[in-house]
Amino acid sequence: MADSTKKKITVLMVGNPNVGKSALFNRMTGANAMVSNYPGTTVDFTSGTLIEGRQEYEIIDVPGTYSLEPRDAAEEVAVRMIRDHPDAVVMIVFDATKIDRGLYIALEVMEQGMLCIVAVNMMDTAHDKKISVDTADLQKVLGVPVVATTATSGEGIRELAEQIRKAQVADLDKIIKRLNGEIPDKKSVGGCGGCGGC
Amino acid sequence: MEQKNKISGIYIGLLGLVTLACGLADIFVWAGINPGFQVGILEIAGDDFFRWAWGGFIMVCAGLFMIAGSRNALSLQQFAKVTLGGVLVWVIAGTDIFARICENIPAGEEAPEFLNSLSGFIGGFAPPYPPAVILLPFTLVILYLLYTQAYDTE
Amino acid sequence: MVLSTDSRWEVVDRIARRTVAYGTYKRTLGDVLGELTVKPLTGIPVAVAALFAFWSIFCSFAGALVTDGFMVKLFDSHWLPWLQSVWPDPASWHYFVFVGDPLADNCFEAFGVLTSGLFVSIGVVLPAILIFYLMMTVLEDSGYLPRLAVLVDSVLHRIGLHGYAIVPMILGLGCNVPAVTATRILETRKQRFIMMTLLAIFIPCGAQLGVMLEVIPDMIGLVFLCLIGGFCLFGYILNKVIPGENPEILVDVPPYHWPIRENVVKKMWNRTKSFLKEAVPFVLFGVLLVNLLYLGGVIQALAAFFEPLFVTWFGVPKETVGPLIAGFLRKDLAIAQLSVIPMTAYQMFASVVLISIYFPCVATFVIMLREGWKELCAALAVLFVVVFVYGGLIHAIGILLGVA
Repeated sequence: MADSTKKKITVLMVGNPNVGKSALFNRMTGANAMVSNYPGTTVDFTSGTLIEGRQEYEIIDVPGTYSLEPRDAAEEVAVRMIRDHPDAVVMIVFDATKIDRGLYIALEVMEQGMLCIVAVNMMDTAHDKKISVDTADLQKVLGVPVVATTATSGEGIRELAEQIRKAQVADLDKIIKRLNGEIPDKKSVGGCGGCGGC
Repeated sequence: MEQKNKISGIYIGLLGLVTLACGLADIFVWAGINPGFQVGILEIAGDDFFRWAWGGFIMVCAGLFMIAGSRNALSLQQFAKVTLGGVLVWVIAGTDIFARICENIPAGEEAPEFLNSLSGFIGGFAPPYPPAVILLPFTLVILYLLYTQAYDTE
Repeated sequence: MVLSTDSRWEVVDRIARRTVAYGTYKRTLGDVLGELTVKPLTGIPVAVAALFAFWSIFCSFAGALVTDGFMVKLFDSHWLPWLQSVWPDPASWHYFVFVGDPLADNCFEAFGVLTSGLFVSIGVVLPAILIFYLMMTVLEDSGYLPRLAVLVDSVLHRIGLHGYAIVPMILGLGCNVPAVTATRILETRKQRFIMMTLLAIFIPCGAQLGVMLEVIPDMIGLVFLCLIGGFCLFGYILNKVIPGENPEILVDVPPYHWPIRENVVKKMWNRTKSFLKEAVPFVLFGVLLVNLLYLGGVIQALAAFFEPLFVTWFGVPKETVGPLIAGFLRKDLAIAQLSVIPMTAYQMFASVVLISIYFPCVATFVIMLREGWKELCAALAVLFVVVFVYGGLIHAIGILLGVA
């Protein structure tokens, strides 16, 4: 995506409840989304602006949802937001201690053929719990940029902002093939995870 | 370690018993079995339901938690109970002290000025104290054990 | 390409197995404490203690320190006398509307927009809201709130709700407006309707709490008991009557951690700001409107019309009818108005309970309308039934006990 136009790009932040989306959002936009240590604080969406590398992004903090088959009114908001913004970049936020739940909704979003980027948040908690996540490998498998972040301390936020422009449409066929070892892993070039976004 | 475990256990057990006794006393005085008493710097006024019956119940629970956690007190599971007991005492003592601070900053209804004088403010902290505040320094041992991570981490 | 749920989970599993490594995890004290606060045997005392701390700090700060310590003095011995001396013509209508009673010696009883209106919103309600939101924020940021949700889950299931309903309930003690919005975390329409109705009827907001603390400090416990009793009773009935599901919750209990200071400050500021923006104008406007209605004789007419109902059915004196009707515009001020009417303890108690249970302020009304007009109408219908039945019930109990 060699975006030289100055058109505003919409970024939807999607993920399970209580994975720190709102905290990440505040870090990136300087806006005031409600951040809590309990799930379900964001029941409406909040939006803010991020300017990175002369590109303006409108970031929308979508209410947390466990899947795109909504169970409550707050989750319906999430589904509607994704439907209404087919051209948006979807930033899928994972809780590093609960990767599988995040992956589930990530796959659902990817099935919609949207541009994706993954933020693996709460790395500090994962570290405390002795859980390690190989984000480089995750990036290889998914074929979209994956960034490790800790929203409470601000780690990884800058990189996340820089990577938004490299968001990719994930190819589920390829993901499965990579898992089966049918596509050999690309050799990584100079620390790059090889998402192919450059 | 064994030695330390034992000493801590005995200390916490005793502290728990005293806390339990204080809690029961709070409730009894409130219920009117005893018309409120003052011994040295200790005072149980027992005048209002919220502070003495409700608060007394919390003190009773705090005492029970500490007693329950006093056997093999420094194992993780047991020490958590002790900590919880300590936290309950801190809640009562903390709110008591906070109440005194809040009451003593303003000058009082009759006085023309707004702020209390410094001596008046400090004077507001004179004894007698409710039992939770007197227990407070003795529970600092739990805080010490907590900070030095004296408990097992298994 | 679209996957089925099963194959999606399979892919998830394979990716997770490949990229996530679990070290040997040692349980920490925080984990064990977390478990202890959820188990009923240890969790209930902790919850009781948390409520104790909440209420105690609320009273000390809002009651003793700010309102009684500073605001009463500021308004009664500086602001009120000054206003009374500079405002022209005590007999005029504008004096009545803005300053109120020219003989009043305190701001509670003057009932002017600039006297009672300002005093209640800034002097009484603002400190209450401030300390409430501070404690609320600390509770939620530390991670205690979801544990409370787990703890109360089984109780709330009996009234058609589940553990997470504790979030709007606690928010409702601050202000009903955000609480109504927060009902969206409940899954079904049935749950949301029950929650909204109960919120509007039985949960007094921070403004009311602050005023109650000022006016009837001795009776708060009893009033609360009545409200909680009504909450459970009518929750139970609504659950039986209204069709619909009440699904189990998936509670995600986050680990305990220390609240981050800047986060707490920011959140408190946001919430207080929206209170100032949304509620304070309503208080002032409410007082203005009530005063104008008094001047126009509308309240007196309504009071005369409803008087038989209130006096015979609820057992409250006829002077309370005016404030009770005016209470629709602003409940908290109505409690203040009640305080100047000479009444027996029972009558005072009954009118405060009545004013607490009947309809919320205009702001809540508007926000409920936004959530759906059908629900609002149904809630109104429930409200009339509840006020009538419960008010009568309290009166009946009062008669039986020989106090009414």
